[in-house]
Amino acid sequence: MVTEPATGNAALRRAMGLRTAVSTSTGLAFAALEYLAAAGLVVYVAGDSAWIAVAVAGLLALLAWGFFGELNGMFPTAAAIRLYMKRSMDDRAALTITFTYMTTIVLVIAADAFIVGSAISQVLGEASWTAGLWILVLLALAVAANLRGIKVAGSVQDVATYTVLVATTVIAAAAVLRSRAALRFPLSPLHGHHGTDLIEAVALGVFLYSAFEWVTTNAEEVRRPEHVHRGMLIAVGLLFVVCALVTISMSHVLTHHQLGSAYPQLYLGRAAFGRAGLWFMAGVTAVTALNTFNGGFITASRFVYATAREGSLPRPLAALNDRAVPWVPVVALGAGSLVVALVVAASHSWQVLVATGAALEAMIYAVAATCVVRLRGRLPHEHRPFRLVGARTLGVVGIVVFGLLAVVASVSVGNHFNPAPLAVIAVCGGLSAFYVLRVLPRVRAAEQARRSATRRRRPPRPAGTGVPVVTGEWAETGESAQTGASAETGATERAP
Amino acid sequence: MATTEEIAEAFAEWRERCNANERLKRMLRGWDRVVHLRTSDSSEQFTIEVRDQSIGPLGIGAAGEPDMVVTATSEDFADLFWGDLNPSEKYMSGEIVLAGSQEDVMRLDAMSMVAFLDQ
Repeated sequence: MVTEPATGNAALRRAMGLRTAVSTSTGLAFAALEYLAAAGLVVYVAGDSAWIAVAVAGLLALLAWGFFGELNGMFPTAAAIRLYMKRSMDDRAALTITFTYMTTIVLVIAADAFIVGSAISQVLGEASWTAGLWILVLLALAVAANLRGIKVAGSVQDVATYTVLVATTVIAAAAVLRSRAALRFPLSPLHGHHGTDLIEAVALGVFLYSAFEWVTTNAEEVRRPEHVHRGMLIAVGLLFVVCALVTISMSHVLTHHQLGSAYPQLYLGRAAFGRAGLWFMAGVTAVTALNTFNGGFITASRFVYATAREGSLPRPLAALNDRAVPWVPVVALGAGSLVVALVVAASHSWQVLVATGAALEAMIYAVAATCVVRLRGRLPHEHRPFRLVGARTLGVVGIVVFGLLAVVASVSVGNHFNPAPLAVIAVCGGLSAFYVLRVLPRVRAAEQARRSATRRRRPPRPAGTGVPVVTGEWAETGESAQTGASAETGATERAP
Repeated sequence: MATTEEIAEAFAEWRERCNANERLKRMLRGWDRVVHLRTSDSSEQFTIEVRDQSIGPLGIGAAGEPDMVVTATSEDFADLFWGDLNPSEKYMSGEIVLAGSQEDVMRLDAMSMVAFLDQ
């Protein structure tokens, strides 16, 4: 990879530094769902060897990092996904994929609400149905905080993320050390397993790193542009260390029943420090949700808002409250997440959620690889501050590998063939495609008609003068009727 | 290419409209910010300061430490202040480039939208 120095946003009063870029990238990836994905992964391989699948997935995450690094360098904006997809493929295909990808955010928010709700219910010794009430409370709080424009400050996010990482590492290491037993098959993942099991484990492993790339939406607020790709790189390293340790400790100390529960991390905490460890991990789980709710709600709702403002979604989705928060997307996101979380809680189908998320992430990584390859062809001379070496070859490798992993993850749940994730993705993709192909043309036509009916306010210039002519209603106010190109407006000050 | 005077004139109209808008004033509560505008075609810079729920006069040149930097063509700035241009559309197509936090970007777009609700 080649990077070039850039000036960035160093002049901004409040710019995001590398530390916060790392914590944002890591924190978005390390959701509460991470614990369930790690527990789901260990059953695919022998003994305590799941770290190998995590390492292979980490290498693939590095590949994805290369793709997102190059794309983010070319389009350092929160709207990057729209820009690079629109320039790589047909806009309708780009929108369909983007809308489908956005469902991942709903799934992750729903999953975290479910996991935290279940964990609270468990530590309080309440009946399992009370998890539904906690889910409702958590999502209501998240929606209310978002509607009030409350955003977790960068410093708080730093503390939260690094606390979660350190606490999880300590708990995982302590659980292994206190077991006083030697590791089982730490280097033999295929012992008693098939090669396809390892592939499925890697597919789930990729999910452990998923969302690390969401930090690219902060490209406009980093102090230096390279903080984004450096932050993602460090995040992948941190995620590997913590997740590898968690999978080793989970396979080492947890029973099959505990691995299949909705709160394996609580059992891990109990194995490390008894009852205190269980409460501690419940607290850590709640903190992980802080980043998910904060980042997920903001990213998704702002994207929906901007897309509605652009004219690609109905205008009511761009409605703002008095705190300049797009309240319709926030409420819709909360409601959608609530429904998904309650369905998951009632049907105990969290493994379907994990597999669906894994498949969607692998799919978007394959799409990112496609965009890198196509943009190398379409925009060969475009400035690339971060240039992936061997992009075309690595891009093709990425398309094949991530495409394969997406297929594998979408038809496998808990080491069994199960097409439920594929069905979920097909429904989401089908709805997105239906909207883009059938509804969007009407939305855009209505928007175009509305704009055509709006009178242009800017005074037209007479040909050749470059001077605006004051006409119409604006002129009738008399306020600046004498002004021309050289007139004083009375509202301009020259800065020192 | 729009002249400095054209941009200033458009801004004056926009500023008046914004400062007279009660809803927008509520939206600007607690949002004191310095915004720099940079024209990509004429290399000019302007400064806008929002303080106490009110938009200050346009400063010619870059003054102070900005919370946000907006880069666009001079024509786009003039059209934007006249309310003839949807900044989100330009932003989503990469023609308007921003530097600043997502929340500040949202607030700035909200200002342009609420000021011209019929847009």
